[in-house]
Amino acid sequence: MGKMERFPFIVLVAGLLFFLFADFVSWALPMFVLKDIPMKKVSDLAAEAKAKNTSAWADFERLAASYPEQFKKYYGEVNEESFAKALKIGHRWYVAEGCWNCHSQMVRPVSNETLRFGIPGVSNTVSYPSEFQNELQAPVLWGTKRIGPDLIREAAVHNIDWQVAHLYNPESTSPGTNMPGYPWFFEKDEKGNIVPNERGIGLLTYIMWLGSWEVKPTKEWALK
Amino acid sequence: MATNVATAGGEVQVTNLVNYTLVKLHVAMGLIFFIIVGLMGFLYSLQLDGIYPFPGIEFLSAGRVRMIHTAGAAYGFLVNMFTGLLYWAVPRFTGYKVFNEKYLGGFMFIGLQAAVLITVVAILFLGMADNVEWGETPWWLDPIIVAWLLLHAIQFGAPIIKASQKAPLYVTGWYISAMLVWTPLVVFMGNFIPRFWSAGSGAGAVQSTFIHDLVGLYVTPVAWGLMYYFVPVIMKKPMWSHGLSLLGFWGLAFFYPLNGVHHYLWSPIPMFAQYSAVFATVAIEFAVTSVLINFMMTLRGSAEVLKYNVPLRYMYTGAIFYWITCFQCAFHVTLTFQKVIHFTDWVTGHAHLIMFGTFGMWVLGMAEYVWPRLFGKETMYSKGMSEGAYWLLTIGVIAMFVDLTAAGLVQGFDWIGLNPWIDSVNFSKPFWYFRSVTGIMMLTGLLMYAMNFYKTATAGKGLEAQLRESA
Repeated sequence: MGKMERFPFIVLVAGLLFFLFADFVSWALPMFVLKDIPMKKVSDLAAEAKAKNTSAWADFERLAASYPEQFKKYYGEVNEESFAKALKIGHRWYVAEGCWNCHSQMVRPVSNETLRFGIPGVSNTVSYPSEFQNELQAPVLWGTKRIGPDLIREAAVHNIDWQVAHLYNPESTSPGTNMPGYPWFFEKDEKGNIVPNERGIGLLTYIMWLGSWEVKPTKEWALK
Repeated sequence: MATNVATAGGEVQVTNLVNYTLVKLHVAMGLIFFIIVGLMGFLYSLQLDGIYPFPGIEFLSAGRVRMIHTAGAAYGFLVNMFTGLLYWAVPRFTGYKVFNEKYLGGFMFIGLQAAVLITVVAILFLGMADNVEWGETPWWLDPIIVAWLLLHAIQFGAPIIKASQKAPLYVTGWYISAMLVWTPLVVFMGNFIPRFWSAGSGAGAVQSTFIHDLVGLYVTPVAWGLMYYFVPVIMKKPMWSHGLSLLGFWGLAFFYPLNGVHHYLWSPIPMFAQYSAVFATVAIEFAVTSVLINFMMTLRGSAEVLKYNVPLRYMYTGAIFYWITCFQCAFHVTLTFQKVIHFTDWVTGHAHLIMFGTFGMWVLGMAEYVWPRLFGKETMYSKGMSEGAYWLLTIGVIAMFVDLTAAGLVQGFDWIGLNPWIDSVNFSKPFWYFRSVTGIMMLTGLLMYAMNFYKTATAGKGLEAQLRESA
């Protein structure tokens, strides 16, 4: 027993052996199981959104049309590069503002979550591994706490105009909410209107991208 | 500590085993950060109440403040406190000085404070954070934290290795030895693998392991190690059972690192990993109970010490909270409980009971034991403030725990019931208001405690000075 109480044994067995065994079971093995799911970069996500003409792409076009001055100034034209740039900036500020402290990004297969966070017939699926296998989920943004609702199916829940108003003043769209407003995502244009700035357009693009891969095209933007 | 050492010539030499300055600096900074972190948590709770005092100010946005609350608790409060207490305990139970006090010790102290301040500036003012819970430090700062932890391993590893060559280590030595290896590995794993070598579910598995390991493989072993040192010292008697000490340590070392994935049950992580985490979590409660039995049996026959010895009372209160938290965990870790309580305030209550109720109480107790001795005083400045702080903190944390647990059940069932989302916010409001009140209690207790510390350090003369005067 004396050996168990000395530095080398403790460090080798408890410090390294047990630790490595646990890491193998807890995450190396799961990663091995998931290894065949292709890993997507932000540019891949942008290309996919354009090719499939997802709701996120339509929302990005709508942002460009609604705020032409700001959009041209910060993002230029609507194309894959500017979409990827907006996603990256939006993700960065989603993390930096701690949005993930109060909003999760995971729909569980229990507790009626598919009914609450999806729209039946449009996006009522449980979260699955491949939708997280991309650069914007490294580290993953599942979160551990909900003060506000889950956002991973947000594209199917609210439209872009609702999001703009809600981000500037949450009380305007959700009476009684305790979410803070984010006025620093907005600026004044030449006419004095309050419009989203570079970060704002990025964050709105990112939020409307969440779950857009699950939304089936509706005639609203197919007609455009 | 001044130890008298008889040399071959029969003369007496005085050597200083413990560097008092380092203990004082780290403990004081730890206490300051404890108050700041508590204030940040209180501010964030006001946002939930809908009465945030700084709306529309970018640098004081509640989301950013919340990240200071969690990251600050880890690096500003706990690492400072633990490092200070290790500077006291390690040389004493090994009989050797730490690796280097003046240069390495000083450098480590400044480095740690700099790392915390950089984190605060980056998160509040630069909008740079990392979405790893408890690893909110920006990713470019993490290599520096890992390097700091390696220096920390050298600093405290040196005396332990020396002592281990002569005789088997005391229990504290086992916990600290393992922790010195685990912590840099955990911080490296949790901050780099999810960012550079994986994404999605794989990253989720690593991040959940990290959240749990930073508690289980840094905070818990340091804290239990120090408990095994301070409790017998204060009660002046050995631990009840050496066998249970062994069982507790090896049980913790084996099962704790396997627990992490239980933070993401019902997630897209492969089910075998989720099941193994649930199994390991239930298993570890047995190890925890064996440790608790050992401490309770050590107390047997000396329980009246708790009446007048506030440090020991902090330690046993924390130990009971520890067992409650772990007992609760054995139930709510199951997939059935998770359906209701995941994502709710139940989890927040659980986290506060373990972090504040257990580890916070323990370090406050240990610091209160060490502090008068560091300044050559017989006791703390005020017994009244000492008692007042203890009761405010204890009642505050119990009230917060009960309140948030109840709030969690309300939220969980409300969500299952598919009521409009805003209902769950409105139903939670009374609980959140009460939580802010408990926060005020805890902050008041902390301020009282800090005032007592300040007075102990500055008021009156030390024992040595008194003796010199009377001579």
